[in-house]
Amino acid sequence: MRVRSPALAAGCALVAVIVAMALLTFFWTPYDPADTTGGRLEPPGAGHLLGTDRLGRDLLTQLMLGARVAVVASLGAVAVGGPLGPAVGVLAGLAARWLDDALAVVLDILLAFPTLLLAMLVVAAKQTSLAAAITAIGLAVSAVVARLTRVLVKRVLAQDYITAARTSGTSWPRIVTGHVLPNIWPTLAVNLALQAGLAALAEASLSYLGLGAPPPNASWGRMLKEAEATVLTSPVAVLAPGALLAMLVIGANLIAQGIREQADPTLRRSR
Amino acid sequence: MKRQTALFIGLALVLTACGTSTPPAEPASVIDVGSLYEPQNLDNAGGGGQGVIEALAGNVYEGLFRLTDDGQVENLLAAGHKVSRDGLTHTFTLREGVRFHSGDPLTGADVKHSLERIIGDGSKSARKGDLSVIKGIDVPDPSTVVVTLSTRSVSFVYNLSQVWIVNDAVRDPATTEDGTGPYKVGTWRRGSSLTLDRFDGYWGERPDNDGAVFHYYTDASALNNALLTGVVDLVTSEQSPDALAQFEGDPRFRISEGTSTTKLLLAFNDREPPFDRALVRRAVSAAIDDRKLLRSIWGDHGILIGSMVPPSDPWYEDLCRLNAYDVALARKLLAEAGLPDGFTFTLDTPNYDPHPTIATFVKSELAKVGITVNIRIITADEWYTKVYQRHDFTATLQEHVNDRDIRWYGDPGFYWGYDNPEVAELIKRAETSATAETQASMMRTAARRIAEDAASDWLYLNPQIVVSSSRLSGYPVNGLNAQFPVYDIKER
Repeated sequence: MRVRSPALAAGCALVAVIVAMALLTFFWTPYDPADTTGGRLEPPGAGHLLGTDRLGRDLLTQLMLGARVAVVASLGAVAVGGPLGPAVGVLAGLAARWLDDALAVVLDILLAFPTLLLAMLVVAAKQTSLAAAITAIGLAVSAVVARLTRVLVKRVLAQDYITAARTSGTSWPRIVTGHVLPNIWPTLAVNLALQAGLAALAEASLSYLGLGAPPPNASWGRMLKEAEATVLTSPVAVLAPGALLAMLVIGANLIAQGIREQADPTLRRSR
Repeated sequence: MKRQTALFIGLALVLTACGTSTPPAEPASVIDVGSLYEPQNLDNAGGGGQGVIEALAGNVYEGLFRLTDDGQVENLLAAGHKVSRDGLTHTFTLREGVRFHSGDPLTGADVKHSLERIIGDGSKSARKGDLSVIKGIDVPDPSTVVVTLSTRSVSFVYNLSQVWIVNDAVRDPATTEDGTGPYKVGTWRRGSSLTLDRFDGYWGERPDNDGAVFHYYTDASALNNALLTGVVDLVTSEQSPDALAQFEGDPRFRISEGTSTTKLLLAFNDREPPFDRALVRRAVSAAIDDRKLLRSIWGDHGILIGSMVPPSDPWYEDLCRLNAYDVALARKLLAEAGLPDGFTFTLDTPNYDPHPTIATFVKSELAKVGITVNIRIITADEWYTKVYQRHDFTATLQEHVNDRDIRWYGDPGFYWGYDNPEVAELIKRAETSATAETQASMMRTAARRIAEDAASDWLYLNPQIVVSSSRLSGYPVNGLNAQFPVYDIKER
């Protein structure tokens, strides 16, 4: 399939920069992340490209390690929400009326809580760690995806060709894999790409509140929090993690838009 | 967040521009105080928090004695004070002509009521334990109060300086105020401001201003912007040295630095391995560069303390040499303790600034001597139940704000569980000693003992930084025990 969508290309490029940065940290960072010999809030310069934080740690090193946490949070949340959301959604779509109603109510309740609040509840119940944060965000993502899947599945099941398949004796598993999933997959992919960006944002918010990955794991959210007090003396410490976070979220949104453009035949024809 | 900050800066610029074109015309001189500590209610014995002390102590309510900004205790509502030879009977003569804001005269019954409120069952006062030595309170005539104690208590008068005298006719001091101070509570707009109006019937010297308004902020940058734009005239306590950059070198503002009683502790659980051994605690203390940490958090402000005693306590002594930064010594002590390769422990860290940053620093310092720190982030509530109540921790970070709180090293039941009978005895005997000199000398010995034992690691003492408009003078520089009397503040 040829990439015809400039949005998809741009999104992939933005996300690739962040992912490359995250991967690079496994082999190289400008400084040891625990090195506190840099001096307090040094301005950007030759020794430290982006300067240092309060403890004298290199800011660029922290940012790069923060990229790792952001990418892991995005992928982790999608890894939880990706299978779980559609599974629950398909189950609700196919199930008996009472089970469908029950699941719909549960999903509605989950959706009534903002992602962040849901994540805070899970983190508060468990110990704060990156895994807990990812689980929490993943659950919130699952609820959104499950709700969407349920509606999509119901729409597909109402089609005449499903009735035809049923009357010709096709089993339910076969209908799901052969007819339902191929039809709803593009929409789900768009949604998951969007959720991946939002998951990075949610992790940053949790870390900002002190509920994300515990220190010394660098996280953009906590970097923002720590830089808040020093914004006047060291604005780059606020701007840099903010800019990278924006890059990742915009990148994910562009990818989502790109997938939609690629997958939707009506959009293809209109161009 | 980024957007919010940018908005604040933008607003600050706009408002500064307005401020210079139209100077505010204030016929009455009312001092606008900016603070981060809004009271929970109006009762300092009923969980009003730090904010109620800041706004009301000395301003609205007065004690029998006053603690001055340089730590001296002087007579306030007590005109005279006699102590029996055995130190057990204190006779107070009340000042004549003192009236409450409601118009009622001050009597011995009010004093009795106020003391009973502190030591009573429902009291949440920090002084409850100190004043439990009170055995009986008699009021032989309306202007005399006789208090008998179960043991001699050399800090009794000091403790009384923290007890507010409240009209005994007031049923609910959490919502209604009736004190004897130079100001009455005007309007309290919750979440926003508390107004103090000058009380014309005040018995003492007339305040240097017509009133004060405490403006409350939840965000330090918003508070600083309020000062920059002239919404407030001063900020009672700056929380970060970097916020000061915007006031330094600006002739419109003045920065003063006093000493606080807020000590940042790396508190070990002295009951449990590995920190039940002084060798290990001393090794950890020696491995952490406190000076570098203080500089990271507070820039050029604040001081190091070698024990639990800030310079404003009467038994202060510079003990920093006892636990000085010395990595070689730390390694040697670890080897002596049989842990040459270090060990691993979990550090329970409150989730609010500056604790996570400090935990990161402690981790990187201890890594150099082979000790691995697992940082566990907990909320303030969790800290209270898990660490403070259940003693379920190995080590923790916490700010200890109270004055004279070294006494907790004499209580093995306290959360850090330091159990040294010699120190407990010293602290107990110090309190029952006949003179303040003997008391101070015993407390100095106790402070030295806990330092030699590295009972905790006292990382540093916060500075108390007030930034004010340069038109103002007469504000408290130290603000001891969180009090912030405004009656001497005047505009030039």
